[in-house]
Amino acid sequence: MLQIKNLHASISSDSGAKEILKGLSLEVNAGEVHAIMGPNGTGKSTLAAVLTGKEGYDITEGTVEFEGKNLMDLSPEERAQQGLFLAFQYPVEIPGVSNANFLKAAVNEIRKSKGMDNIPPNEFLKLMREKMELVEMSKDFISRFVNHGYSGGEKKRNEIFQMAMLDPKLAILDETDSGLDIDALRIVANGVNKLRTKENAFVVITHYQRLLDYIIPDFVHVMYDGKIVKSGDKDLALELEEKGYDWIKELSNVEI
Amino acid sequence: MSDLISILQENLPKIQDENQKASLQNAIQLGVPSMKNEEWKYTYYNKILQQGFKPVLVADQHVNMFKMMGSLTVEKEFIDEYSVSENRIVFVNGVFHSELSSFINHPQINLWNTNNVSENITSDFLLELNNAFASDGIFLEIGDHVVVNDLIEIFYIHTKSSDIIQLKNKIIVGKNSQVKLAEYYINYDEAPAYLNIVTEMQVAENAHTELYKIQDGGKVFNITDNTFVKQDKSSVCTVNTISLTGGITRNILQFDVNGERAETHMNGLYLLENEEHVDNRTLVNHNVANCESNELYKGILGGKSTGVFNGKIVVKQAAQKTNAFQSNRNLLLSNDANIYTKPQLEIFADDVKCSHGATSSQIEDSELFYLQARGIGKEVARGLLVYAFAAEVVENIKNELLRNKLQERIAELLKIEL
Repeated sequence: MLQIKNLHASISSDSGAKEILKGLSLEVNAGEVHAIMGPNGTGKSTLAAVLTGKEGYDITEGTVEFEGKNLMDLSPEERAQQGLFLAFQYPVEIPGVSNANFLKAAVNEIRKSKGMDNIPPNEFLKLMREKMELVEMSKDFISRFVNHGYSGGEKKRNEIFQMAMLDPKLAILDETDSGLDIDALRIVANGVNKLRTKENAFVVITHYQRLLDYIIPDFVHVMYDGKIVKSGDKDLALELEEKGYDWIKELSNVEI
Repeated sequence: MSDLISILQENLPKIQDENQKASLQNAIQLGVPSMKNEEWKYTYYNKILQQGFKPVLVADQHVNMFKMMGSLTVEKEFIDEYSVSENRIVFVNGVFHSELSSFINHPQINLWNTNNVSENITSDFLLELNNAFASDGIFLEIGDHVVVNDLIEIFYIHTKSSDIIQLKNKIIVGKNSQVKLAEYYINYDEAPAYLNIVTEMQVAENAHTELYKIQDGGKVFNITDNTFVKQDKSSVCTVNTISLTGGITRNILQFDVNGERAETHMNGLYLLENEEHVDNRTLVNHNVANCESNELYKGILGGKSTGVFNGKIVVKQAAQKTNAFQSNRNLLLSNDANIYTKPQLEIFADDVKCSHGATSSQIEDSELFYLQARGIGKEVARGLLVYAFAAEVVENIKNELLRNKLQERIAELLKIEL
């Protein structure tokens, strides 16, 4: 589904270009859940941003293919229309636009890209109600403004709700667990688990092992200094939790 | 001497009414507003006149008889598009049209159409011009203790007229009464039109009034709107000025708050593109103590459009414990759009709370990306974000039917589906 080969990406700033991703490779197939872990500042969020097409990054080397297409040729909306989804680490507040209107626009734009007509209003409402249950949202949520005045937990639940509504092939969860209390974490993880199928895939970016108690990954990758330095199964996350990130830093030094 | 002034002089001998004559003489003396005048610094009045508009006396008016008697299909369509009520007063090219109008029968509500000649002499050219030439207008008197639930709608419809259409309204709202009025400014032709309108409103003790100005007249419709409100004690008055499409629009809105514990609310929205121009000038005179005024004007400026906001609040020495808040926020969508914003506070009392603020910003990249990441194309995403910016003002509109209509219309203008 997703093939990243030797990806180099830099961010341009006032002090010149700075390379963040330094030769990252990753393959994700349908039905798999991958966890990417690593200390702060190693490029985890940059990877998510580059994959979803956020402006401000330059790809200097390497390739990214999604379902056989060169992802880097596509605009952010085209990537989403092809089935790529990012659950944002910091969801944006949009006062003035209701969740219903926001998602209706998204659903219809995606349908339009596939040559389909707009979703009938009844069908849309039914879909919303069904998916709201999944993340335990209250009824007034439909008419509330997107993320406006929500608690941290509500914002993250809304990301999972949007994911459920758009039913992507590949979902990237960028630190969805950060700032969540244990109940919100359970709701978010439950939502993800219910959405897992043989056809879709998840990349879960996280700083802590905690989330992986709820969302059991098939693969765990450790990122350090812009690339994946170690891969393994779910036990790697536990090992990492036990030994700390210093262990990875040492590991990485040895490899260099 | 400008063309307009010579036309005014030609008309002078034809006027019989002493007050109208005095107004016309005064207008000639004052002269056409120029950009040298601080009040007109950013609005070039001659640009309206250059389109060939001329003032016409009521006696000389060429009423389009076909329009007055013939098919009214187009007018009806426009009315239906907006109307949410059965109380309707319709003017076509400055003349009251009974066939299109309908109005409640109520022993305590008096409604006439009249040109309300005023005896007051002012130093404002447009007011004097209006007083001398106004062809028609409403005189609406609502008695004491009357609650009118349905919106009263006033349509100003224009079609193919090179006259300066001039209307003059007077609205009197009695003690403890409640009324909601909506004015719709419409020009449905490709041909330019120009309306110079004056509305005076008196809001008596404990009366509640909402006034909505919906300016959606199309790209070649010019408006100079002059609204003056006098409020008595414990009254509440809200004026919403919504400018959606237009040519050159200038809205003067002035309040004299003369009774204690009165509340004044001003909401404004201007949605501009191409070379549209909207100049909003508001003034609140807080003449007495313990009153509150709230003002929120939001503007969205694209293309080569120009917005002007001048918000003046005067707190007289007697007006202790005044709370006055003002905010003007602008979203600039293009590098060629301009906003001139100027808050003016003149405070002569010492125990007051007054604040004002003006901002201009652009669409945030992070917001745009969030929408794109959900599969929403850039154009629709921008439309949604602009809609979101406008929503705060629209949400302030209490009448639900009208609010829904406006939401639909704004979405249509922004090319988004809701």
